Amino acid sequence: MQLTGLLHGAPLLRYVDFPVTEVLGPGASEDEIQDLLNRHGTVFVKPIFKGGVGRKGKAGLVGVVRDLKSALAEKERLYFAEHRHGALVAKANGVTFEAGVPAQHEVYFSITDDTHFRAPTMTITHKGGIEIEELDHSELATVPFEALTGLKAFVVANALSDLGAPREIISPLVQHLPRLWDLFHHYGMTTLELNPIRLRAEAGGRLLPVACDFKAGFDRDDPRMARLGLPAHLFAGSVSEFEHEVNQLRTYQGQSDVFVINEHGTILAPTFGGGANSLVTEVLGDSAIISSDFGGNPPYEKMKAVARICYRHFLRQSNVLFIIGGKANNTDIHETFRAMGDALREHFAERGPTPLHVVVGRGGPNLIRGFGTLAETCDALGVPYRFFGFDSAISEVVAYARKVDAWMSDGGRAVIARHMGLKEGGLKDDA
Amino acid sequence: MYRQGIEGFSYYLGIRSLEDVAAPTDRVCVLNILGGESRTVTPISHAFSGGNVVYGTAPGRGTQVLPTPIGDVPVYNNVREGMNAGHRFNTGVVYLPPAGVRDGVAELIRVNPKLSKIIIITEKVAVHDAREIRAIAQANGVDVIGGNCLGVADSWNRIRLGGALGGDHPDESLRKGTVAIFSNSGGFTTTIAQYLATEGWGTTTLISSGKDIYIHYAARDFAFALSNDARTKAAVLYVEPGGYYEHEVAFDKPVVACVVGRWKSKLTRAVGHAGAMAGSGDSAQDKERWFMETFGVDGLWTPETPHASAKGAVVVNIADIPAALTQVMALNGMTPDFAPTGSLALKPWMANTQGIALPADLDLPLVPAMAPYDAQIGALSKRIGAVFARQGMKDASGASVMDPKTQVTSVHGHSVLDLALEPLEASFALPLVHEIADAHDRALLDVAVSAEVNLVGEPMLIAADAAREAGNAPNAIMAAAVSIVGPRRVERPLACARTLIDLFAPTGLRTGRDPAFDVTMVAVDEATRALFLARPDEAADPRPEAMLTAVRDRGCDSVFLRFLETLGGRPSRDAILAAIATTIAWGPLTRKRISRLTAETLPWYLRLYGVMVGASIEGRHHERGNLHGIPRQERFSAWTVADLCYLAVTGKRARGDEAKPLQLLIGLLISNGPGSISAQGAKGAVAADGPQTPQRVQINTAMAGFLTHTGFSHGGNGFEGMAFLLQQFEGSGLEDPTDPNHGLDLTAMAMAFAESYKAEKRKAKELGLETRALPGVHHPVFRGKPVNHDPREEFIARFMAERGDYNIFHAFYRELVTALYEVGASPYVFCVNIDAVIAALLLAVLWKDYRSGALTGGDLETAAFNVFLYGRMIGSAAEIDDHMNRGRNMDTRTPASQCRYVS
Repeated sequence: MQLTGLLHGAPLLRYVDFPVTEVLGPGASEDEIQDLLNRHGTVFVKPIFKGGVGRKGKAGLVGVVRDLKSALAEKERLYFAEHRHGALVAKANGVTFEAGVPAQHEVYFSITDDTHFRAPTMTITHKGGIEIEELDHSELATVPFEALTGLKAFVVANALSDLGAPREIISPLVQHLPRLWDLFHHYGMTTLELNPIRLRAEAGGRLLPVACDFKAGFDRDDPRMARLGLPAHLFAGSVSEFEHEVNQLRTYQGQSDVFVINEHGTILAPTFGGGANSLVTEVLGDSAIISSDFGGNPPYEKMKAVARICYRHFLRQSNVLFIIGGKANNTDIHETFRAMGDALREHFAERGPTPLHVVVGRGGPNLIRGFGTLAETCDALGVPYRFFGFDSAISEVVAYARKVDAWMSDGGRAVIARHMGLKEGGLKDDA
Repeated sequence: MYRQGIEGFSYYLGIRSLEDVAAPTDRVCVLNILGGESRTVTPISHAFSGGNVVYGTAPGRGTQVLPTPIGDVPVYNNVREGMNAGHRFNTGVVYLPPAGVRDGVAELIRVNPKLSKIIIITEKVAVHDAREIRAIAQANGVDVIGGNCLGVADSWNRIRLGGALGGDHPDESLRKGTVAIFSNSGGFTTTIAQYLATEGWGTTTLISSGKDIYIHYAARDFAFALSNDARTKAAVLYVEPGGYYEHEVAFDKPVVACVVGRWKSKLTRAVGHAGAMAGSGDSAQDKERWFMETFGVDGLWTPETPHASAKGAVVVNIADIPAALTQVMALNGMTPDFAPTGSLALKPWMANTQGIALPADLDLPLVPAMAPYDAQIGALSKRIGAVFARQGMKDASGASVMDPKTQVTSVHGHSVLDLALEPLEASFALPLVHEIADAHDRALLDVAVSAEVNLVGEPMLIAADAAREAGNAPNAIMAAAVSIVGPRRVERPLACARTLIDLFAPTGLRTGRDPAFDVTMVAVDEATRALFLARPDEAADPRPEAMLTAVRDRGCDSVFLRFLETLGGRPSRDAILAAIATTIAWGPLTRKRISRLTAETLPWYLRLYGVMVGASIEGRHHERGNLHGIPRQERFSAWTVADLCYLAVTGKRARGDEAKPLQLLIGLLISNGPGSISAQGAKGAVAADGPQTPQRVQINTAMAGFLTHTGFSHGGNGFEGMAFLLQQFEGSGLEDPTDPNHGLDLTAMAMAFAESYKAEKRKAKELGLETRALPGVHHPVFRGKPVNHDPREEFIARFMAERGDYNIFHAFYRELVTALYEVGASPYVFCVNIDAVIAALLLAVLWKDYRSGALTGGDLETAAFNVFLYGRMIGSAAEIDDHMNRGRNMDTRTPASQCRYVS
């Protein structure tokens, strides 16, 4: 869960009194923009993306303007700009107008938990404002520090000294940067990055660090994040309706991470445990509709609710309902299978039957009771099934599910539909 | 700030050898020991480990205990109380909710200075808290394992600490050997151990590390302890993307690394620099590369390309771990710990194709499961038949559903329109076997029902006639008869059916008419034999022989009838009824389409069907050996259920296709869904008897419930359409209603009526009176278009046209709706509804007898009512059976809060 840009970042920085450049949102009037230009000379126009979008500058998605006409032209250009990062495309919705901060020095600063050190870690360089991957390691200071005491001034001072940073910037940064620990640690962040922090000359020549961009990653498991009162839609950028529904369950009923991999897939595979999830999705490839990890030992009600959502969104298009996991340790197979079976039964009752083949590979407590319950449901619904025990390699079971899927696509679906008294497409004859 | 543990580490590490991870000397305190997960897992761990849990905590629940197979574990309010009570431990296990984990860790460390290890099982610990936990533990010299893990185990010493590695049967997976497992996935820790055993590799120490951002006991720590454990000759690492925990870790023993999660790169949202710094360069591919460099191999190990060195191999599929390990170990001159215990080939344990022919490579034969699962599956398979979940079934049905758009009801997936085209006996069987019976089973059903229709000498007939004489409507006459077919009257056929299922379920018989099945393999004791054989007082009953003859005449085969014939005596009529019922039910029963309860009660329904049809025939027509003059053997050997119904309605033998319209009619009338009054009556009776004790439900009473919930408005109104048609055709000289060359001008007749109806309407309006509704015209759902159709009427019309059948009354109705519109009596062309079709079909059947005076208007009304009851009898059987199987006691009642008082 990421947040980028100063529109929402600036208020967060103000919580800890960290100076931030002046920013206007997409609703700014022409007078307001002109006023900003009058006072600051240069204004940056940046598109607003939901979630984390990196390297906007490099992608030509930052406009630098000095007059209103250019500002409005850049607003028009960037308002719905698209940003491609690998296979992912983000679409902007709005722009910000951020006051330029004249400065001689630009600093990069971030705090994150670094697995090299298993500790919160500061990364800093006085050669900020550019892609830091382009810098030599000697120009960066990456310093773990003590979580219980937090980021202390001396940590910053030592790092800047080690880097040989200009003397005039050390004191202002030492005074201001430790405040960011409070924002990072007490509001559920996993990453906080300011790049650039520009050091603006104040009256008397003293430098003041001013944040000119903002990026933060949040820990979805940390309730402290709620203290910021950020609207949920900020994080809903690329979350499908399905993911959103399942994620709502997540908040109060334990783990259930899902992603829609291919909304046109034909194998619906609710998986249990991260391991099974990784393996299964890997082997299923594009046939898989979702990637999911419903975690260990989901209670009946949660499992049923999740299954209902899965079925409602995807069962109609599915050839195979594929329930797969390793040999569970403490997941009560009977409870989870009963829940999934009951949800299937209810789905058929409410939305009508659909041609389906069920393939299961699982082990764990109450396995055969679980198999029995699910088998009864399939029998009652007239759905063919094959259940594999944990002595069949998961990868083999996955391959079997793919074979069934291929057969279903190649006419098997129609065979099952006819057998169930349905039209080829799966609708009831008299519907 | 950290306390120095093992020298050479720039952080605290206390575990020197894998032997120390889960040691026999470890003593455990479990936080939140009474929580849901711990309550099921801790007793197994405790017993498996020989009793290593000294106490647990549960704030506010001190003084309680956690029962385990080897004795109770005391529970205290907090760690200090337990310490004060004299307990000592070195290992804390944390099952607290996420928000409480950090404080729990602090409590353990602060209160117990002797603490050396903490295992955090809880998932979703906030990174904020993990950060602080790491710092607290480092400062105080405590090793932490987890969080979000499944604990650790030692197969040599049979120790399990925290979590549930090995599940509820740890011995199955934790087999002593020479391989250590370190896994980011808790589930796969056990799965890998079990996979290794298939190649003969056992385990030493198993560690579920968790996969949070903070992995407190990580690969580097594991590598060090691995090096120092003399028992362990090799290790398996299961690694997921993210984090640098495995980067440049040196192993001095052979290792197979399984790296999964390439796909995750597809899902990662773009991140900024800091995220990129922390999160890039540690993808699955990166990790594969790290390990390949460590092992000195230039590719991933797959069965086709087995890249491996003496140092190790990298796989991406956990199923490849055992073979890769065997190869790596062979390069080190080492062989497996024990003989292979099986393979990982596909082994379906349970399957049902539901009768669908799958390609051979998909229809894999079942493989017996390993013990103890084989016995459990065996027990399941003995539980023959489907089991349905019970729930409140008020206004709900698992048998029927009406499509609100088309008004077409389906019963067990078959629309009444389709059923109308099926032979009637198929519809008779459907409610009970949930499938359309084939010709063979239909023939058997004909025999069974035929044998029950002639009620001569039976009290049911006396009751029916008495009810008839008292002026009751056909529903009450049938109800009087079925009330007598109580539990004792079907005790023996039901016992026979139950016994047949008991005897044949273990044989694996899949169809009730398997000619190859050797019935002599089913042994019976004397009491069972006696159950099936006719008693001396039944010596004069000719029906058993007649039924068996009929079965032979119809060319039917039944395993169960063959079985009866091996008993060396004369089978009773009840036994034959049960054998026929079981033959019909067996396939659906073994395919779990129906429950055992349904199969066991099937003879009751068949008897009731016969009695209800029989009761609709006046007593004087029931004679010994004859019904309405038709001899027994002819009925048993050649007649269909439709013929019997035709006989009951017309008093005549059906010739040619004469019974066909009746079959259509009855099919159309089977059900209108669970909301219909008749269904409500049947369901209410079941609910009142209590379906949760199904053996107490009186199916005959439920049938009476349906019958008492029919009447002149619901069932008897079929006559209204006929009366209307009679009015229109009175004096028309019509002789054969099925002859299209009838010579009548239907258009003119319809126009004349429409004009008069329009005038009648106008007059009624002037007087402020209600206009009479025309039976069979219009429907509240099919309306509003310029020309409207009831899809059910269209279906029948299409069917009749395809067959070249003609029905003048139906044709008149079609003319009528047009005429009504043309004269302005209706705002658009009304539909001819299904009631009109029923009236038209039935009147055509009875027209000639009515014209000749053989039938009166009253007879027509009775016939219309009876036809409705025959149809609804089938639908009610479906609802009764469904409610018995799924319902709860008294579940049809309406809460008082939803009832209204009307003044």
